[in-house]
Amino acid sequence: MSSPSTTAEVTGADTVGRWPLLLLLASGLVWLVLSGVLALIASIQLHSPAFLADCESLTHGRVTSLAETTFIYGWAANTGLGVALWVLGRLGGAPLRALNWAVVGTLFWNAGISLGLVGIATGDATSFALLEMPRYVQPLLVAAYVAIGVSGILAWSGRRTDGTFASQWYAVAALFLFPWLLIAAQTMLLWSPVRGVLQAVVNGWYVQGAFSLWLAPLALAGVYYVVPKATGRTLPSYEFASLSFWTLLFVGSLTGGRHLIGGPVPAWIPTLANAACTMLLFHYAVVALNLRGAFSGGSTALRFISFGLVAYLLGAVLDAVTAFRGVALVTQFTSFATAQQQLALYGGISMFLFGSLYFAVPRLTGRAWASAALLRGHLALASFGVVLLVVTLAAAGWTQGQDLNHAATSFADIAAHTRPWLLGVTAAQGILLLGNLLLLVNFAISVSSVCCSAPAENSFRQPSTMEAHAS
Amino acid sequence: MSTPSNQDPRLDQAAASDESLLAAHEKLLGKQPDEKARYKLLPLNLLFLFSGLIFFAGTYLNRYSGLFDPKIYNENELPGTGAPVAVKVDPLVLGKKQYDAVCITCHQGTGLGQPGVYPPLVAADWVIGSEERLIRLVLYGLNGPIKVNGVDYNGAMPAIGKVAGSGYNLSDEKVAAVLTYVRQQWGNTAGPITTEQVSAIRAKEGDRKAYVAEELLKFQ
Ligand code: HEC
Repeated sequence: MSSPSTTAEVTGADTVGRWPLLLLLASGLVWLVLSGVLALIASIQLHSPAFLADCESLTHGRVTSLAETTFIYGWAANTGLGVALWVLGRLGGAPLRALNWAVVGTLFWNAGISLGLVGIATGDATSFALLEMPRYVQPLLVAAYVAIGVSGILAWSGRRTDGTFASQWYAVAALFLFPWLLIAAQTMLLWSPVRGVLQAVVNGWYVQGAFSLWLAPLALAGVYYVVPKATGRTLPSYEFASLSFWTLLFVGSLTGGRHLIGGPVPAWIPTLANAACTMLLFHYAVVALNLRGAFSGGSTALRFISFGLVAYLLGAVLDAVTAFRGVALVTQFTSFATAQQQLALYGGISMFLFGSLYFAVPRLTGRAWASAALLRGHLALASFGVVLLVVTLAAAGWTQGQDLNHAATSFADIAAHTRPWLLGVTAAQGILLLGNLLLLVNFAISVSSVCCSAPAENSFRQPSTMEAHAS
Repeated sequence: MSTPSNQDPRLDQAAASDESLLAAHEKLLGKQPDEKARYKLLPLNLLFLFSGLIFFAGTYLNRYSGLFDPKIYNENELPGTGAPVAVKVDPLVLGKKQYDAVCITCHQGTGLGQPGVYPPLVAADWVIGSEERLIRLVLYGLNGPIKVNGVDYNGAMPAIGKVAGSGYNLSDEKVAAVLTYVRQQWGNTAGPITTEQVSAIRAKEGDRKAYVAEELLKFQ
C-alpha cells in the first residue's frame, strides 16, 4: 500500500515558519544550557556549602530558584511553544499566520524572563514555588505568551483539514490554559494575596497546573504527532485519546494538594488530591497504549520519546504512590520529592521535547542535522544523566526522610549519610549539562548551514499514505 | 506497510503524510467498538479500568474527606465519631499558675512566707489539715490574729474566690487547683481538693465577710 501521497514532506509552508520557530527553539536551548549550569552550582552547594557562598546572587536559595525558572519558563516554555506551533501549522494544512506576533512575543517573553532572573538574583524573588519571578515581570510574561499563542490559535481556527487530531487538542489546550493559570495564580498570590494557608493551597494548585495543564500538554502535542508520523501506523486505542485528554484537563490540576500532605490544611484538600492522582492514572494508561509504537525504535526522535514515555509513566505511578499519607510521611519535604519532579520534568517532558525537536528541526531547516556523533552523544548522556539524577536524588531523599523521622539522629549525621548520594547528583547534573551542550552545538551548526549551503534536494523521502487499520 | 529504514540518524523520515494521518485517525473515531459483532477486549478493559478508578477515587474521597470541613485537619479523627473528649487540665499545672500569679507575692515561691508578716504554707496544719477550713479561709480571706505552727501572726489574708469584695475572683476550679497545689508542694502530702468541694462551700456560705481564726477552728 505505498501509493505515494501528493504532498511532499517539506513544503513552502515549512519555510514560512522557519525563522520564527527556530527562534523559539534556539531560545529554549540557550536557556536549557544556562539552567544546567545553575543546577550544577546548586547541586554542588548541597554537599559543599561554601561553594560560591560569598556571592550574594548565587547563594543556594537564589541559584535554585534561578535554575528552576530558567528550566521551566526558558527551556520548556520556548521549546514547547515552538513544537506546538509547528504541529498546529502542519496539521492545519496551511502556512502559519501572524508569525510576526510570535517573533515579538518570543523576544518579549525572553526579555521578561531575563528581567525576572535579574530580579531573583538581586533579591526580589517572591516566596512562591514556580512563581519566583518578581511581580513586575508577570504581566509582561502573560502578554508575551498570548502574542506567541495567537499564531497557533489562528492555525487551529483556520485549519483547512477535516477533523482534528489529539496533538491539536493538547496544543490548543496549552495555549489557552496557561495564560488563565498564570493570571489566576499571580492575582491570588502576588497582586491581592489571599490569606494564610490559602496561599499554600493556591501555590500547590499552580505548580501542579503548570505541569498538568501546560507543560505536559505542550510535550504531548509534539509526541502524539511524531509517533504516528515516524512509525506510519495509527495510534492503538486511539478512541480513548479524547477521554484521556479530558481526564488530564479536569483532574490534573486537582492533584496539586498532594504537595500539602502533612501541612496545616484542611484534610479534604490532600484527600481530594490523592483521589485525583488515582483518577489520573487513566490518562497515563491511555497515553501508554496510544504511544507504545514509540518502542518500535528506529528513528532518533522515537528513541528520545520512548525514554520519555517510560519516565512519564513511572512519574505517574510514583505520584500516585507517594500521594498516600503513609509514604508521604517519609518522602515529603525531602529530595525524594525533587527526584519525582526531575523524573517528570527532565525524564518525561524534556525527553518528549527533545524527540519532537529532533524530528522538527530538519523540516524547518530543510536539511538533516549536522552531526550524527553529537546527536548520539546527546542521546547517551541525556538518558544516562536522567537515570543517575533521579536515582541519586531519590536515594538521598529516602535516606534523609528516614533519618528526619528519628528525632535522635543529629542534623550533621543526616548530612553525612546523604553526602555520597548528593555527589552523585552533581555528577548527573554535569553529565546532563554536557549532553545539552552537544545538542546546542549541533543545533547551531545545523541552523547556520541554512544560510551557507543549498539543501540536498531529495533528502526527504516522499511519505506514504497511512491507513486506518485495526490496532 | 513499511516502516522506513532510518539509515541516517540525522534525518528521521516520515512514514505517513499529514493528511493521511488526520484522515486515518478520524476514521478510527467513527468506528464502532462492536464492529462486525466482535467486541474487542481492550476497549472493554479500559472502560473497566476507568470505572474502577472512579470507584476507588470516590470511596477514598468519601472515607478521608474529613467531611469537607475546613476545620478538620486530620482525616482520621472526625468529631462525633466517639464521646466528646473533654480537655483534661492537670490541677497541679493550673494550680502552680495561680500560685505564681496570686499567692507568691506574700507567701513566697518557697511557701515559707515572711517571718512575722506572712505565715508559711509549708507543713502548716491550716494547709494540710481540715479541707473545710482551708477552702473557707482562701475563698473568703482571714482577719486578725492566727497561730501558725506555734507562731502568732496578725495580718489580713485577702479573699481569693469569686465572692463579694474579692479582688481576685478566681473560679472554683482555679481555687481547687491552687489548694491542691499548695497541699502537695514543698513536701506537703495532703490529698487534692476538688472543684465540687469548693463550689459546695461557696454555695453554702453565700456572700459573707472575711473569717476570723476562731470561726474557722469550729470546722473540723
Ligand atoms: C496580700 C498578701 C497575701 C496573699 C496574696 C495571699 N495570702 Fe495567704 N495569708 C496572708 C496573711 C497576711 C495571712 C495571715 C492572716 C492573718 O494573720 O490573719 C495569710 C494566711 C494564709 C493561710 C493560713 C495560714 C497558713 O500560713 O497556713 C493560708 C492557708 C493562706 N494564707 C493561703 C494562701 C493562698 C493559697 C493564697 C493564694 C491563692 C494566698 N494565701 C494569698 C497574706 C496573703
